[in-house]
Amino acid sequence: MTRKSDISTPEGYFQDLQARLSAIPGKQAASKPSTVIRRFTPYLAYAASLAILVAVGNFILRKTSTPAVQEDPYWEYYAYLSGALDPDGYYEYTEVEDLSEEDIINYLLASNVSLDQLAMSYEEGF
Amino acid sequence: MSENEKLFNQIVKDYSERLWWHVRRFVNSHEDADDLLQEIFLKVWAALPSFRGESQLFTWVWRIATNETLNHLRKEKVRAALKFSSVDAEMERRIQADPYFKGTEAERELAKAVLKLPEKQRQVFIMRWWDDLSYEEMSAITGTSVGSLKASYHIAQEKVRSLVSQTLF
Repeated sequence: MTRKSDISTPEGYFQDLQARLSAIPGKQAASKPSTVIRRFTPYLAYAASLAILVAVGNFILRKTSTPAVQEDPYWEYYAYLSGALDPDGYYEYTEVEDLSEEDIINYLLASNVSLDQLAMSYEEGF
Repeated sequence: MSENEKLFNQIVKDYSERLWWHVRRFVNSHEDADDLLQEIFLKVWAALPSFRGESQLFTWVWRIATNETLNHLRKEKVRAALKFSSVDAEMERRIQADPYFKGTEAERELAKAVLKLPEKQRQVFIMRWWDDLSYEEMSAITGTSVGSLKASYHIAQEKVRSLVSQTLF
Protein backbone atom coordinates (compact mmCIF):
# COMPACT_ATOMS: atom_id res chain seq x y z
CA MET A 1 0.00 0.00 0.00
CA THR A 2 1.42 3.40 -0.92
CA ARG A 3 0.78 6.58 1.00
CA LYS A 4 -1.35 7.84 -1.89
CA SER A 5 -3.72 4.88 -1.90
CA ASP A 6 -6.22 6.53 0.43
CA ILE A 7 -7.45 8.85 -2.32
CA SER A 8 -8.73 7.85 -5.73
CA THR A 9 -9.20 9.76 -8.98
CA PRO A 10 -11.70 9.23 -11.81
CA GLU A 11 -10.68 6.75 -14.51
CA GLY A 12 -8.18 8.30 -16.94
CA TYR A 13 -8.06 11.51 -14.93
CA PHE A 14 -4.34 12.20 -15.31
CA GLN A 15 -4.36 11.69 -19.09
CA ASP A 16 -7.23 14.15 -19.33
CA LEU A 17 -5.46 16.57 -16.99
CA GLN A 18 -2.27 16.45 -19.05
CA ALA A 19 -4.22 17.08 -22.24
CA ARG A 20 -5.95 20.12 -20.69
CA LEU A 21 -2.72 21.53 -19.30
CA SER A 22 -0.88 21.02 -22.58
CA ALA A 23 -3.55 23.13 -24.29
CA ILE A 24 -2.68 26.19 -22.16
CA PRO A 25 -0.09 27.76 -24.54
CA GLY A 26 -2.53 27.58 -27.47
CA LYS A 27 -5.37 29.10 -25.44
CA GLN A 28 -3.15 31.86 -24.08
CA ALA A 29 -1.93 32.76 -27.56
CA ALA A 30 -5.53 33.02 -28.76
CA SER A 31 -6.57 35.29 -25.89
CA LYS A 32 -3.48 37.54 -25.87
CA PRO A 33 -4.54 41.19 -25.47
CA SER A 34 -3.71 43.69 -28.17
CA THR A 35 -0.57 45.81 -27.81
CA VAL A 36 -2.69 48.89 -27.01
CA ILE A 37 -4.36 47.12 -24.09
CA ARG A 38 -1.01 45.75 -22.93
CA ARG A 39 0.48 49.26 -23.02
CA PHE A 40 -2.27 50.59 -20.75
CA THR A 41 -2.41 47.57 -18.42
CA PRO A 42 0.00 49.03 -15.79
CA TYR A 43 -2.03 52.26 -15.64
CA LEU A 44 -5.27 50.31 -15.31
CA ALA A 45 -3.69 48.28 -12.51
CA TYR A 46 -2.71 51.50 -10.67
CA ALA A 47 -6.24 52.86 -11.09
CA ALA A 48 -7.78 49.62 -9.84
CA SER A 49 -5.43 49.54 -6.82
CA LEU A 50 -6.38 53.10 -5.94
CA ALA A 51 -10.09 52.32 -6.28
CA ILE A 52 -9.69 49.28 -4.02
CA LEU A 53 -7.72 51.30 -1.47
CA VAL A 54 -10.36 54.02 -1.37
CA ALA A 55 -13.24 51.56 -1.19
CA VAL A 56 -11.73 49.38 1.54
CA GLY A 57 -10.67 52.44 3.55
CA ASN A 58 -14.15 53.88 3.18
CA PHE A 59 -15.71 50.56 4.17
CA ILE A 60 -13.54 50.27 7.30
CA LEU A 61 -14.11 53.90 8.28
CA ARG A 62 -17.85 53.60 7.93
CA LYS A 63 -17.93 50.40 9.95
CA THR A 64 -15.61 51.53 12.72
CA SER A 65 -16.82 55.08 13.25
CA THR A 66 -19.42 55.65 15.97
CA PRO A 67 -23.01 56.09 14.80
CA ALA A 68 -23.56 59.74 14.02
CA VAL A 69 -26.58 61.97 13.87
CA GLN A 70 -27.33 60.65 10.39
CA GLU A 71 -29.27 57.83 12.04
CA ASP A 72 -31.97 60.34 12.80
CA PRO A 73 -34.14 60.43 9.65
CA TYR A 74 -34.95 64.08 10.26
CA TRP A 75 -31.32 65.11 10.66
CA GLU A 76 -30.67 65.40 6.97
CA TYR A 77 -33.70 67.62 6.54
CA TYR A 78 -32.80 69.95 9.39
CA ALA A 79 -29.16 70.00 8.42
CA TYR A 80 -30.17 70.87 4.90
CA LEU A 81 -32.46 73.67 6.07
CA SER A 82 -29.78 75.11 8.34
CA GLY A 83 -27.26 74.97 5.53
CA ALA A 84 -24.99 72.56 7.41
CA LEU A 85 -25.21 70.03 4.66
CA ASP A 86 -24.33 70.71 1.09
CA PRO A 87 -26.89 68.68 -0.83
CA ASP A 88 -24.74 68.50 -3.93
CA GLY A 89 -21.72 67.30 -2.02
CA TYR A 90 -23.76 64.84 -0.02
CA TYR A 91 -25.46 63.24 -2.96
CA GLU A 92 -22.28 63.07 -4.95
CA TYR A 93 -21.21 60.17 -2.77
CA THR A 94 -21.07 56.95 -4.76
CA GLU A 95 -20.04 53.38 -3.95
CA VAL A 96 -17.33 51.68 -5.97
CA GLU A 97 -19.63 49.27 -7.76
CA ASP A 98 -17.16 46.84 -9.28
CA LEU A 99 -15.30 45.90 -6.12
CA SER A 100 -15.44 42.13 -5.83
CA GLU A 101 -14.81 39.98 -2.81
CA GLU A 102 -11.68 38.75 -4.59
CA ASP A 103 -10.41 42.36 -4.78
CA ILE A 104 -10.97 42.86 -1.05
CA ILE A 105 -9.26 39.56 -0.21
CA ASN A 106 -6.28 40.40 -2.41
CA TYR A 107 -6.04 43.83 -0.82
CA LEU A 108 -6.18 42.41 2.73
CA LEU A 109 -3.52 39.84 1.89
CA ALA A 110 -1.30 42.43 0.23
CA SER A 111 -1.60 44.71 3.26
CA ASN A 112 -0.60 41.84 5.58
CA VAL A 113 -3.73 42.00 7.70
CA SER A 114 -3.61 39.04 10.04
CA LEU A 115 -6.65 36.90 10.74
CA ASP A 116 -6.38 37.97 14.39
CA GLN A 117 -6.68 41.61 13.34
CA LEU A 118 -9.68 40.76 11.20
CA ALA A 119 -11.33 38.91 14.06
CA MET A 120 -10.63 41.83 16.41
CA SER A 121 -12.20 44.22 13.93
CA TYR A 122 -15.33 42.09 13.86
CA GLU A 123 -15.54 42.06 17.65
CA GLU A 124 -15.27 45.83 17.62
CA GLY A 125 -18.11 46.07 15.10
CA PHE A 126 -16.16 46.09 11.80
CA MET B 1 6.15 24.51 -31.82
CA SER B 2 8.36 27.02 -29.97
CA GLU B 3 11.12 26.03 -27.54
CA ASN B 4 9.02 27.32 -24.65
CA GLU B 5 6.05 25.23 -25.72
CA LYS B 6 8.25 22.13 -25.91
CA LEU B 7 9.63 22.84 -22.45
CA PHE B 8 6.13 23.51 -21.10
CA ASN B 9 4.85 20.20 -22.48
CA GLN B 10 7.79 18.45 -20.89
CA ILE B 11 6.95 20.06 -17.54
CA VAL B 12 3.33 18.94 -17.90
CA LYS B 13 4.42 15.41 -18.75
CA ASP B 14 7.02 15.14 -15.97
CA TYR B 15 5.42 16.99 -13.08
CA SER B 16 1.66 17.46 -13.46
CA GLU B 17 0.68 14.26 -11.69
CA ARG B 18 3.07 14.75 -8.76
CA LEU B 19 2.03 18.35 -8.41
CA TRP B 20 -1.63 17.39 -8.47
CA TRP B 21 -1.08 15.08 -5.49
CA HIS B 22 0.84 17.83 -3.70
CA VAL B 23 -1.96 20.35 -4.20
CA ARG B 24 -4.66 17.76 -3.42
CA ARG B 25 -3.23 17.19 0.05
CA PHE B 26 -3.43 20.89 0.83
CA VAL B 27 -6.91 21.64 -0.47
CA ASN B 28 -8.59 18.31 0.36
CA SER B 29 -10.87 18.52 -2.65
CA HIS B 30 -10.56 16.91 -6.07
CA GLU B 31 -12.24 19.83 -7.83
CA ASP B 32 -10.21 22.52 -6.06
CA ALA B 33 -7.00 20.65 -6.81
CA ASP B 34 -7.98 20.49 -10.47
CA ASP B 35 -8.75 24.23 -10.62
CA LEU B 36 -5.64 25.18 -8.72
CA LEU B 37 -3.40 23.08 -10.92
CA GLN B 38 -4.74 24.92 -13.97
CA GLU B 39 -3.85 28.21 -12.25
CA ILE B 40 -0.40 26.92 -11.39
CA PHE B 41 0.34 25.86 -14.95
CA LEU B 42 -0.95 29.18 -16.27
CA LYS B 43 1.60 30.84 -13.98
CA VAL B 44 4.31 28.43 -15.11
CA TRP B 45 3.56 29.20 -18.75
CA ALA B 46 3.55 32.96 -18.10
CA ALA B 47 6.82 32.80 -16.17
CA LEU B 48 8.61 30.38 -18.49
CA PRO B 49 10.33 33.10 -20.57
CA SER B 50 11.97 34.36 -17.36
CA PHE B 51 13.27 30.92 -16.37
CA ARG B 52 17.05 31.22 -16.68
CA GLY B 53 18.08 27.79 -15.57
CA GLU B 54 19.76 29.12 -12.42
CA SER B 55 17.69 26.70 -10.39
CA GLN B 56 16.63 23.25 -11.47
CA LEU B 57 13.43 23.12 -13.46
CA PHE B 58 11.94 20.78 -10.86
CA THR B 59 12.68 23.22 -8.03
CA TRP B 60 11.43 26.20 -10.01
CA VAL B 61 8.11 24.56 -10.94
CA TRP B 62 7.57 23.15 -7.48
CA ARG B 63 8.23 26.55 -5.89
CA ILE B 64 5.58 28.18 -8.08
CA ALA B 65 3.14 25.41 -7.17
CA THR B 66 3.80 25.69 -3.46
CA ASN B 67 3.52 29.48 -3.45
CA GLU B 68 0.30 29.39 -5.43
CA THR B 69 -1.16 26.75 -3.14
CA LEU B 70 -0.27 28.59 0.05
CA ASN B 71 -1.62 31.80 -1.43
CA HIS B 72 -4.85 30.02 -2.34
CA LEU B 73 -5.18 28.74 1.24
CA ARG B 74 -4.53 32.20 2.70
CA LYS B 75 -7.25 33.59 0.47
CA GLU B 76 -9.61 30.84 1.63
CA LYS B 77 -8.84 31.78 5.24
CA VAL B 78 -9.57 35.46 4.67
CA ARG B 79 -12.69 34.59 2.66
CA ALA B 80 -13.91 32.39 5.53
CA ALA B 81 -13.10 35.10 8.09
CA LEU B 82 -15.13 37.62 6.11
CA LYS B 83 -18.06 35.21 6.38
CA PHE B 84 -17.53 34.54 10.10
CA SER B 85 -16.66 30.91 9.40
CA SER B 86 -13.59 28.76 9.84
CA VAL B 87 -11.60 27.32 6.98
CA ASP B 88 -10.37 24.50 9.23
CA ALA B 89 -13.93 23.38 9.89
CA GLU B 90 -14.61 23.47 6.14
CA MET B 91 -11.48 21.41 5.46
CA GLU B 92 -12.51 18.84 8.05
CA ARG B 93 -15.93 18.63 6.44
CA ARG B 94 -14.28 18.10 3.05
CA ILE B 95 -12.15 15.25 4.39
CA GLN B 96 -15.14 13.65 6.10
CA ALA B 97 -17.37 13.88 3.02
CA ASP B 98 -14.72 13.32 0.33
CA PRO B 99 -16.24 11.01 -2.31
CA TYR B 100 -12.74 10.09 -3.53
CA PHE B 101 -11.49 9.00 -0.13
CA LYS B 102 -11.08 5.23 0.10
CA GLY B 103 -8.64 4.81 2.96
CA THR B 104 -8.97 3.67 6.55
CA GLU B 105 -10.31 5.69 9.48
CA ALA B 106 -6.73 6.12 10.69
CA GLU B 107 -5.77 7.67 7.33
CA ARG B 108 -8.77 9.98 7.52
CA GLU B 109 -7.77 11.06 11.01
CA LEU B 110 -4.22 11.59 9.81
CA ALA B 111 -5.46 13.96 7.11
CA LYS B 112 -7.52 15.84 9.72
CA ALA B 113 -4.57 16.02 12.12
CA VAL B 114 -2.38 17.59 9.42
CA LEU B 115 -4.92 20.42 9.17
CA LYS B 116 -4.12 21.37 12.74
CA LEU B 117 -0.43 21.95 12.03
CA PRO B 118 0.90 25.48 11.55
CA GLU B 119 1.36 26.40 7.87
CA LYS B 120 5.11 25.71 7.64
CA GLN B 121 4.95 22.42 9.50
CA ARG B 122 2.01 21.34 7.36
CA GLN B 123 3.98 22.18 4.24
CA VAL B 124 6.99 20.19 5.43
CA PHE B 125 4.85 17.26 6.52
CA ILE B 126 3.01 17.05 3.20
CA MET B 127 6.22 17.31 1.18
CA ARG B 128 7.94 14.62 3.19
CA TRP B 129 5.19 12.19 4.14
CA TRP B 130 3.03 12.20 1.01
CA ASP B 131 5.13 13.79 -1.73
CA ASP B 132 8.19 11.80 -0.68
CA LEU B 133 10.60 14.64 -1.42
CA SER B 134 14.13 14.53 -0.05
CA TYR B 135 15.23 17.14 2.48
CA GLU B 136 17.61 18.55 -0.13
CA GLU B 137 14.75 19.01 -2.61
CA MET B 138 12.57 20.55 0.08
CA SER B 139 15.40 22.89 1.03
CA ALA B 140 15.82 24.06 -2.56
CA ILE B 141 12.07 24.67 -2.90
CA THR B 142 11.44 26.42 0.41
CA GLY B 143 14.79 28.15 0.85
CA THR B 144 15.02 26.68 4.36
CA SER B 145 18.03 24.78 5.67
CA VAL B 146 17.97 20.98 5.79
CA GLY B 147 18.46 21.11 9.57
CA SER B 148 15.40 23.33 10.10
CA LEU B 149 13.32 21.15 7.81
CA LYS B 150 14.31 18.01 9.72
CA ALA B 151 13.42 19.67 13.01
CA SER B 152 10.08 20.92 11.65
CA TYR B 153 9.24 17.49 10.27
CA HIS B 154 10.08 15.82 13.55
CA ILE B 155 7.86 18.23 15.50
CA ALA B 156 5.05 17.90 12.94
CA GLN B 157 5.24 14.11 13.04
CA GLU B 158 5.02 14.08 16.84
CA LYS B 159 2.02 16.40 16.81
CA VAL B 160 0.25 14.34 14.16
CA ARG B 161 0.97 11.10 16.02
CA SER B 162 -0.41 12.55 19.23
CA LEU B 163 -3.52 13.95 17.55
CA VAL B 164 -4.29 10.71 15.72
CA SER B 165 -3.85 8.57 18.81
CA GLN B 166 -6.05 10.92 20.85
CA THR B 167 -8.82 10.53 18.27
CA LEU B 168 -8.53 6.80 17.67
CA PHE B 169 -7.80 5.44 21.15
